[in-house]
Amino acid sequence: MNQLNVPVSRRGFIGAAGAFGGALALAACGGKSTPPGAAGGPTGSAAGGAYNGPKVTLAFWNGWTGADGDYAKQMVNQFNSATPNIKVNMNVFQWADLFQKMPAAVTSGNGPDIAAMHIDDIPTQAAQRVIVPIDAIADNLKLNESDYAPAVWKGGLYQDKRYGIPVDVHCLGLFYNKDLFEKAGLDPEKPPTNKDEYMNALDKLKAKGIQGSWVSPFQFTGGLMYQSLLWQFGGDLFNSDVTKATWDSDAGIAALTWMTDLVKQGYSPKNVGQDADYVALKNSRNALNWQGIWQVNEVTKLPSVKIGLAELPKIGDKGGVWGNSHQFVLPRTQGNDSNKVSAAAYFVSWFSQHGADWAKSGKVPAINKLAESSDFTSIAGLKPFAEEVPDVHFPPAVAGINDAMTAMYDAVNAAVLGKSDPAGALRGAANKASQILAQNKKKYG
Amino acid sequence: MTSLATGGATAAADEPSPQRQPARSGRPASRSPLGQVLFWLMLAILTVIFLAPLVWMLSTSFKTHEAATRLPLSWWPTPWDTGAYRVLFGSGSANPVLRWFLNSLVAAAANSALIVAVDAAAAYALARLDFPGKKLIFVSVITTIFLPAFVFLVPNFLIVSKLGWLDSLWAIIVPSAGGAFGVFFLRQFFSTLPRELEEAAIIDGANQWRIFTRVILPLSRPALSTLAVLSFLTNWNDFLWPVYVLFSPNNLTLPSGLAKLQNAATVDYPIIMAGAVVASVPVILIFLIAQRQVIESVSRSGLKG
Amino acid sequence: MTTTSERSTLEGAPARATGRRVRRNNWATPYLFLAPYGVLFVGFILIPAIYGIWISLHDYDYLLPHQPWVGLSNYTDLFKSGSRDGADFWRSIRATAIFTVFSVPLLVTIPLGIAMLLNRRFPGRTFFRAVFFTPYVLGVAVVGVLFRFLLDPTIGLLNFYLGKIGFSGTTPWTTQVPWAWVGLVGMTVWWTLGFNAIIYLAGLQDISPELYEAAEVDGASAWDKFRNVTLPGLRPVLLFVLTLTLLASANMFGQSFLVTKGAPSNATRTAIYYISQVGLQQYRQGIAAAMSYILALILVLISLLNFRLFREKEES
Repeated sequence: MNQLNVPVSRRGFIGAAGAFGGALALAACGGKSTPPGAAGGPTGSAAGGAYNGPKVTLAFWNGWTGADGDYAKQMVNQFNSATPNIKVNMNVFQWADLFQKMPAAVTSGNGPDIAAMHIDDIPTQAAQRVIVPIDAIADNLKLNESDYAPAVWKGGLYQDKRYGIPVDVHCLGLFYNKDLFEKAGLDPEKPPTNKDEYMNALDKLKAKGIQGSWVSPFQFTGGLMYQSLLWQFGGDLFNSDVTKATWDSDAGIAALTWMTDLVKQGYSPKNVGQDADYVALKNSRNALNWQGIWQVNEVTKLPSVKIGLAELPKIGDKGGVWGNSHQFVLPRTQGNDSNKVSAAAYFVSWFSQHGADWAKSGKVPAINKLAESSDFTSIAGLKPFAEEVPDVHFPPAVAGINDAMTAMYDAVNAAVLGKSDPAGALRGAANKASQILAQNKKKYG
Repeated sequence: MTSLATGGATAAADEPSPQRQPARSGRPASRSPLGQVLFWLMLAILTVIFLAPLVWMLSTSFKTHEAATRLPLSWWPTPWDTGAYRVLFGSGSANPVLRWFLNSLVAAAANSALIVAVDAAAAYALARLDFPGKKLIFVSVITTIFLPAFVFLVPNFLIVSKLGWLDSLWAIIVPSAGGAFGVFFLRQFFSTLPRELEEAAIIDGANQWRIFTRVILPLSRPALSTLAVLSFLTNWNDFLWPVYVLFSPNNLTLPSGLAKLQNAATVDYPIIMAGAVVASVPVILIFLIAQRQVIESVSRSGLKG
Repeated sequence: MTTTSERSTLEGAPARATGRRVRRNNWATPYLFLAPYGVLFVGFILIPAIYGIWISLHDYDYLLPHQPWVGLSNYTDLFKSGSRDGADFWRSIRATAIFTVFSVPLLVTIPLGIAMLLNRRFPGRTFFRAVFFTPYVLGVAVVGVLFRFLLDPTIGLLNFYLGKIGFSGTTPWTTQVPWAWVGLVGMTVWWTLGFNAIIYLAGLQDISPELYEAAEVDGASAWDKFRNVTLPGLRPVLLFVLTLTLLASANMFGQSFLVTKGAPSNATRTAIYYISQVGLQQYRQGIAAAMSYILALILVLISLLNFRLFREKEES
């Protein structure tokens, strides 16, 4: 939906350029600063601009455990010291736990004031009224569709309302072992970019006794690899009104068959265990791995092996990359504290502004300009991922969509482990998923 | 359960229980040299099998993140690195591991004490007192043992939040004390205690409460301590429920807190293993101290009849 | 005097004949004893359990405003072919059954053997007892991650050593059946064996040595002694351990979830694993509750069977 070529006269968004300075200003479509405090919408005055209200504490929940949490914490600390009026208390949980706790907490009135989740979680949480539309904040931030990749922009919408403000994109990339490349007589600075080059590389590796492209049967990374291939081969997960799963199309079957063929032809061992493909890559037993950007920080620091990073090769005719996106969302709170909402808006915009800092945790900033900035491109290893963003697909914004996706992951698991042929597995999964879609539609509306 | 009770009663009828001998420390190990060799061989093999994963766990906790998954695998960390422990203990306010440790300790100890206290009273009533509805109550209590824990999650969450116990240790200490295992276990034990002592106490004019506290409980120390240790352990390791009800970093218990140290999509073995070492040390200590009690206690706990 | 003679009379009489139920105090006393536990039981077990039945009669998602009544169809759907959950549910019951059938005998017998080993007097016995109990101290999260790595087909320690001593070094312990079952059962035995062993140990110690001596005098072999002295002496313990182990195995979730993720193709996805997915991930608490109650019913029936078998054996 085409939102927000924001008319300047709308509620105050105080001097985005002024307040934050620099080329990294958010999305000013016409770019001029606006006077503050025009007739307030539900968020009151100055949402997103400098926060001038009384002291306020914001509870911020997300699933950024481990190192992600460390980076986020640093940013939150920075924000807190820069903004004496707002104290953000960040709480991290494992994602699976977050989706148990947050709905429960929101229902009992103990929910947080601002949260982050994935783009594919938004529809289900919105349908269950765990989160509410974030239009007010989005409007005040003057988000502009052209500042984001189309998929990232659309993905924050559910039933035509905006529920999420994009923070980042995290996707798959090609991780390859440069040491093994050299061993096989391949140029370590020229990773394969299409099917022919990929197979050629595999053959050269095989000649040296190396299984070059381990295929994982699990969601991470086999399921993600499969989706990338599905899009590359021209297929898609669901039809346009999301009533049927369509991964059992010819394209889908071809995609999965290519993967199982890698196993059959000996380019991958059979029965690869969870994470084994990645561990093998780091230990020079595997040469090519379709792995997530979240591994970049580890991989660039490995002392004894050189891992290169590149865009996913185009095995099919089109570009296709699995990805997900973190989005800020507004949990449903009891009682409308407009100060908190304003403060939250300001925090969201501050955080998005500092997208290049957040990117250090291994992400691509959602805002295109930030992804092109030197602050970002100077971070080791992330550039190829940023170039892939236009090819990233997300699941459709339908509540309960992940229930249907599970059937697809099961099919990939079955085929890669040789329990069933690709076509049969995909067809069975598609039927199941279509049934699930119908039931979910009844349930969530 | 019924036949366990029957078995208990039968055995009690066969040999007067007050004469129950102290736990035997076992027959001497076989004298024959072949027997000795075989014995030690078996023991050695089993010990290696049992210790190997534990040693691996310990060694991994001292490896660097990269070394933990380095092939070929090695038992000895190279380089030796305390990074995982430093992350655990130096994490500062967002990850107060010591605080979690204390929370777990307090919760497990309190929960264990509560369970022993309420279960003993209830088990005594079910074992020794007559009252209408006794059978029904006992059967309904026992039946709930068979329900998967999952059934209780959401309803208990709603109840706990109405009580205002969310994000507090009360939610970890109190609800699980409603479980049926302890009642069943102690009821079984009480059933096999010699009635003579109670009869004597009645003749001496004692009321129920005095009988319970002066006669039954002292005799039951072994069973009570067994239940205490088992309840402690169960509460200590409980993961699913604390995740539901605890929120703020300072209020988490150890398992749910340690989960926060893991990246979303990667596995950080040294930290997991270091966390496991930290979490197991106190329980192993408790076991060692209570070991004598536990083994002796189980032997008298009427399980054997 | 009176007391003593009464007491001696009492001592002579079989326990049941004394029959005097302690009924000295008012009728309320038993209920007072039960009350503290009763409050907790009713509040946190009984009410949720009944509420769970109520939930199972609805298409239930506690976050949505409406919970449509569906009557028994959550239950009956599981028996209909072509339903969304039926096939997966019964497959998960099958997985639980396989795991239980293979793990319970091992968990009932091996600890007995170890307990018999540890029942003898030898130096360092306390240390060894601790060794066998220690794995039980670890939580499932740790054990799961540990064994996921150790059992990995390509990079795990087990296959590494197996390859070195001449066996296949590529057995798919975590990704194919039946080896995944071996892996899951094996790790569970390692993890929980110590608990059963300790219980057996105590049971063994309570068997009077005179019985063994008497058997020896009669010329009994080691096997005879085991069969005729040890086993009978342990029978109630056996039943207790059997019941407990059965329950624990039937509730297995963590090992499947962490080590195999249900692979291959959900063949190792146990009932509790599936129920958790449906209830927690898919927010379909009604169906998950229905599946839980069916599982509970199956367990009750099996346990009743056990007790009956044991009771018959005792009477024979």
